[in-house]
Amino acid sequence: MRNILPPWLRSARVIIGLSIIAVIALCAVFAPLLAPHDPNEQNLLTTFLPPVWAQGADSAYLLGTDSLGRDVLSRLIYGARVAMMVAVIASFGAMVIGATLAYLAGYFGGRIDSLIGRAVDVWMSFPPVIMSLILMVGLGVGLRNVILAIVIVDWTRFCRVLRSEVLVVASKDYIAAARLVGFSHWRIITREIIPASLPLLITLVSLEMGIAVIVEAVLSFVGLSVSSQTPAWGQMIADARQYIYDSPWNLLFPALTIFFAVFGFNMLGDGLRRTLDVRLTAVQRV
Amino acid sequence: MDMLIARDVSVTASFDGGIVPVIQELSFSLPAGRILGLVGESGAGKSMIGRTIAQLLPPGFSVASGELMFDGQDLIRLPAETRRELLGRDIAFVPQEPLSGLNPVLTIGRQIDEHLGRLNFGHARLRRERALDMLNAVHLSHGADLLDKYPHQLSGGMCQRVLIAMAFASKPKLLVADEPTTALDVTIQARIVELIAELQSREKTAVVFITHDLRLAAQICDNIMVLYAGRPAEVGPARDIFSNPAHPYTRCLQLSNPTVSGPRRDLYALPERMPGLSAIKGIVGCLFAARCPNVIEACTKALPPFIDIEPGHVATCIRPEATKAIAPPGLQRAELPQAGQPLLEAKGLTKIFKSSHGFFRRTAFAAVKDVSFTLNEGEFVGIVGESGSGKSTVARLLCGLEKSGEGAIVIADRDVTDGGAVSRQHQRTHVQMVFQDPQSALNPRRRVGSIVTQAMEAAGGSTSAERLSRAEALLSEIGLPPEAALRFPAQLSGGQRQRVSIARALCVAPNILIADEIVSGLDVSVQAQLLNLLMALRRRRSFSMLFISHDLSVVRYLCDRVLVMRLGEVVESGPTEQVFASPSHAYTRALLAAVPPDDPTVIWNPRGAEVAAPVLTATL
Ligand code: SF4
Repeated sequence: MRNILPPWLRSARVIIGLSIIAVIALCAVFAPLLAPHDPNEQNLLTTFLPPVWAQGADSAYLLGTDSLGRDVLSRLIYGARVAMMVAVIASFGAMVIGATLAYLAGYFGGRIDSLIGRAVDVWMSFPPVIMSLILMVGLGVGLRNVILAIVIVDWTRFCRVLRSEVLVVASKDYIAAARLVGFSHWRIITREIIPASLPLLITLVSLEMGIAVIVEAVLSFVGLSVSSQTPAWGQMIADARQYIYDSPWNLLFPALTIFFAVFGFNMLGDGLRRTLDVRLTAVQRV
Repeated sequence: MDMLIARDVSVTASFDGGIVPVIQELSFSLPAGRILGLVGESGAGKSMIGRTIAQLLPPGFSVASGELMFDGQDLIRLPAETRRELLGRDIAFVPQEPLSGLNPVLTIGRQIDEHLGRLNFGHARLRRERALDMLNAVHLSHGADLLDKYPHQLSGGMCQRVLIAMAFASKPKLLVADEPTTALDVTIQARIVELIAELQSREKTAVVFITHDLRLAAQICDNIMVLYAGRPAEVGPARDIFSNPAHPYTRCLQLSNPTVSGPRRDLYALPERMPGLSAIKGIVGCLFAARCPNVIEACTKALPPFIDIEPGHVATCIRPEATKAIAPPGLQRAELPQAGQPLLEAKGLTKIFKSSHGFFRRTAFAAVKDVSFTLNEGEFVGIVGESGSGKSTVARLLCGLEKSGEGAIVIADRDVTDGGAVSRQHQRTHVQMVFQDPQSALNPRRRVGSIVTQAMEAAGGSTSAERLSRAEALLSEIGLPPEAALRFPAQLSGGQRQRVSIARALCVAPNILIADEIVSGLDVSVQAQLLNLLMALRRRRSFSMLFISHDLSVVRYLCDRVLVMRLGEVVESGPTEQVFASPSHAYTRALLAAVPPDDPTVIWNPRGAEVAAPVLTATL
């Protein structure tokens, strides 16, 4: 049984990471079914209710209510939608741009490589948080711009790491052999190089998703992301911050949720890196 | 007095849930000041013996029985601490890969100094003086400069000299040299071997010399043990073993190695491979029986005992008298196609590699300088040279992987120098290449069938069923079963992978094949199989070949004409027999002198290998 599974599925990290992400993804997709209340439904009579296990709780609100009497659990569940959307779209966008440039740079080398390399260096000399804040100010608020900002800031992560991997693969004799039998550049990149670098790519995407969740939380915390009508984890923290003495729970739950989401993506990424990275596994085998 | 005595040592490994024998019935005695050669192909267990002496067995391996007496102490039962004290002081090692023996982030001086410190060599100034003496003793001039260098700034030969210097620093009683020259160029190889022999005879050190090269062992060792699948096949005085082998394996090893002098004889290619660890356990009789040309029924009944051939010469074969009769099959060179019209012409090829360090300093390095030659239809031409001679660059220029700076390439009446789309297409259909390292040359994610038919995939218009049947045809032509089409490269042995690489090149039916060092790094018996395969393909397909190698004997076996390259230039060319019998250039003579003679009674003088040190780069 154990040997049927591919090695990356046998890693505890990967399993833990995947399960956490699966739970969050399910929440996002089935939010209307799972959430006990409408996330925006206010009830000013029942504000600051503690979670069920604390004194004075209402069993209708499992994790209590916030300053406007909205159900915290429902807001967390709906908040997963924003988080997952940003995580998926932003990291794929960053990957597409970064990876494309990395394949071009690593495969063709020479002038293309040094040009792209320079661009990455210049890009990375800006502190990412400042850069995304400046971008947000320029682009204006809104979820679409949050995603755009993450893509614009983070494509370099993919480009830099992947480029060195592509360099290694491109120097293999089987790439030369493919050229000799008449494969086109496009074909060599898609058939020979991308499959070889796919493990690294997947790993990078899963790490980037964790980063995207944090960035979105930060931006919605400062009110640059979704409008106040859409529940988002960062926003919940921002709201709760004012009432931290009345109800510390309100701050704790979204913070914990963000922590677990990022933890899940990082576990997955780390586990994949350990099991898929040929160099690393080779070292372990020795 | 015997410095090292092995008495019935056996080593086992837990493998696939069972215990398998790795070394069986190993017995020898090595007197002080003598050299024992351990000879065998990969998997013979020769390096395991070195590791057993060092007590560096990999996890899962352990000594099951026997004793290994070093200077009166049993190494196997010695407490770890005493042993650690012996190793590095009384027992020294020279590794195969010189760079792996040195720490890349410390200077040579630091490493020697630390080593001397461990040996309690007095204070810092004394140690430095001693270090300079040591470097002198291994003929490294400019010792003071060397001390400040890092390993990567030195050549492989220099690193190996440093390691030898460190090994001899403590005046060890025993030196274990594990293939110390395999990673080096021929001329440097010869010098390193000579150096070990020189220090050994001066210090009266006992040496265990591990090598795959029977000829080299016969030349420098006093005694030789030939190993097969972890069990001694034959033990005896070096000359005896070489001139009068009693075990069929020794004889076959000898016959599978091409020669550099005397008449060109055909190669004996042993079928199949040495049994691996998991297979050895299931073999009842002689471990060599599956490949032995002299096998009889009795061989497969029981493990053959050690049989005395002469005093001091034993072999584990029950019919040693039949060994002499083993002879290679005649390959009938007369049947080979005759050279025809010129097919490929290189005129004044030049390739300069530029590299820039910072903004202003640029260095240019001429890898190939004004190389001209022709390759005729049906002809095999060899290019020999050491690393840095530019021979591989010539190969890459000819098949279009690299663009030449100057000169012209004409292939089948068409000038392809411009490198345009039409030229490349023309080049591809006529020239294909087989690469040196089959590990790197085969995509690990493709199945063998898809690798060999990549050319059809590129051309398009073929169904996968067509490609599969073509793959099976190609595989049978190069001697692999059709099922191999569904395997991945990782499931094949090195020799099989190289066959797959050849099959891929043959798929477009090119009339020129360029082979870049395709047998280096393979065992002699596998090499013989591949060389014979090339001969057979040559008869059947009548293509031309440019065979690039550092190994003169292989080139001599295969090629009609030969070019000798040094530092990017062709220094000598001509018909193979003529060049080998009466070389006219000093460098060719040096290369030939560096190969141990085929006849061990001839005194080997690698000193003929004295050539001025090459200057590789010119700063522009
Ligand atoms: S015992 Fe038999 S099988 Fe083994 S080497 Fe001798 S002749 Fe060959």
